Amino acid sequence: MVSREDVLHIARLARLSLSEEEVERYQKHLGRVLEYVGELRALPQESDALVRHVPRDAVAFRGDSILPFSNTRGSLDNAPALESDGFLLPTVVEHE
Amino acid sequence: MTTFRKAGVQDLLEGYQRKEFKPSEVVSGTMAAITQLNPELNALLETRSEEVSARAKDLDARMGEASKLPLFGVPIAIKDNILVRGWKTTAGSKALQNYVSPYTGTCVERMEAAGAIVIGKANCDEFAMGSSNENSAYGPVKNPWDSTRVTGGSSGGSAAAVAAGLVPGALGTDTGGSIRQPASLCGVVGLKPTYGRVSRYGVIAFASSLDQVGPFGRSVWDTARLLEVISGYDAKDATSSRGVVPRYTEALALPSADSLRNINIGIAPEWMEGLDPEVKKSFDAAIETAKGLGAKIVEVKLPHAKYALSVYYLIAASEASSNLARYDGVHYGTRSKKWDSLEELYSRSRGETLGREVKLRIMLGTYALSAGYYDAFYGKANQVRRLIQRDFDEAFSKCHCVAAPTSPTTAFRLGEKMEDPLTMYLSDIFTLPVNLAGLPGLSVPSGVDSKKLPIGLQLIGRLFDESSLLQVAHAYEKARGPLSHPPWKGDR
Repeated sequence: MVSREDVLHIARLARLSLSEEEVERYQKHLGRVLEYVGELRALPQESDALVRHVPRDAVAFRGDSILPFSNTRGSLDNAPALESDGFLLPTVVEHE
Repeated sequence: MTTFRKAGVQDLLEGYQRKEFKPSEVVSGTMAAITQLNPELNALLETRSEEVSARAKDLDARMGEASKLPLFGVPIAIKDNILVRGWKTTAGSKALQNYVSPYTGTCVERMEAAGAIVIGKANCDEFAMGSSNENSAYGPVKNPWDSTRVTGGSSGGSAAAVAAGLVPGALGTDTGGSIRQPASLCGVVGLKPTYGRVSRYGVIAFASSLDQVGPFGRSVWDTARLLEVISGYDAKDATSSRGVVPRYTEALALPSADSLRNINIGIAPEWMEGLDPEVKKSFDAAIETAKGLGAKIVEVKLPHAKYALSVYYLIAASEASSNLARYDGVHYGTRSKKWDSLEELYSRSRGETLGREVKLRIMLGTYALSAGYYDAFYGKANQVRRLIQRDFDEAFSKCHCVAAPTSPTTAFRLGEKMEDPLTMYLSDIFTLPVNLAGLPGLSVPSGVDSKKLPIGLQLIGRLFDESSLLQVAHAYEKARGPLSHPPWKGDR
């Protein structure tokens, strides 16, 4: 069972504002999914839990070198607000 | 004017080599078909006729290279969660409605270097989360076989574009079945490669330990050709394999490729219980065909595969909750106009632009990773993921590939499964374990049901053994013979 407070707490952690109707819907849907995935709890503890998902011959670390990127402007232009060459944020520290 | 709708990748390549037509003629036909059919199907979100025509004209002048470039003049659709510089990439989300790709993903770069023409961006479920393509902020894609039904998802636009003959090939991504399930529901071939085979650079991340790019085609050969072009090591993806990529199409041309004499195919009895009778009938017939080609059928056990749904939704949602944190109204997307603090700017911008299913999964993942629940949910899911991998390791000591249905049902009606998330998730019950184990999987059409809706046969292979899957599927496809097509509406 997922409470209304649980939904609001998770939404806060996830930085999601929800409408009243959404809170109700997610209380139901999240509850339903969590109840289903609860089946895993019944399985015995597994000692070898090392998941293999990266190919053995993959190299996790690249050389520590700076490579040029051809379109910094294009990346910046996707932001909702810019000031010269930077992302524009609201003031987070107020001064007197 | 011919629209080239029935021409596959191989047909086009052969036609170019014989100088029967030029890329600009193919592209004009393709664009005409898209103009006529896409408004109903909603398979493609963006096409750029001027750019596409310019690219085709450039290739017209290079007809001498037709025999050297493996995808010379082949029109391709790209799922809208893969970047193509200068094109919009929305990932089916309102949050990225104005996002213009600043660079091109490695898989697309390789296709373009091979002579392919990017013709359009294909509709998909928002951030690739969905099994019906109904979670796209730009409306669902309609199934070309029956427009009251879904295409499957999340790569529904790619599958429908290939099925309807808008393009001969397309790229999709598969995190839990998002290539194979729509391929099955739309009656085309779709392949999810081994994790690490194809670079993920330039692919919008959903669940990074599961996401993989793969091709769609109307034949196994066409799919193999796309795969051999996009595969291979890329320094820009830290999980990219350095393994040598076989020449898949060359292997299919060998005379021995028509026989399955030395092939063992595994079947898991667990997966046969409670199956839809029409899907079961088609599956059994496909296995009989494989036997007729000389394949030996062996029984394998996949006792933990039944937990794949739980494991998948915990792991994928956890990874998604982290990957999607970047859509914060600062670096991308739209910023909410109503906020009083930085936190409110984030939460309102996200709340106003992310869709219903995406929010559910972000919350599920946030919950599974939160203090006090991490071990019980995320930790436990990873343990069981290992058990699923071990089941497959064991199975592959007895067989070259495992055969299963791709989807438990054929295409369902639009809206039919939207109210209950679990009913929808169950559409992927046979495809999810493959992603969890990192294995390659392929769906090949095996017939139609009594409603004339396509059914798919899934083949699952050993790590990096896409060759066996393609060989078995190719031999099967030849023995099966041509299938009926969706109604080729408006063909000229």
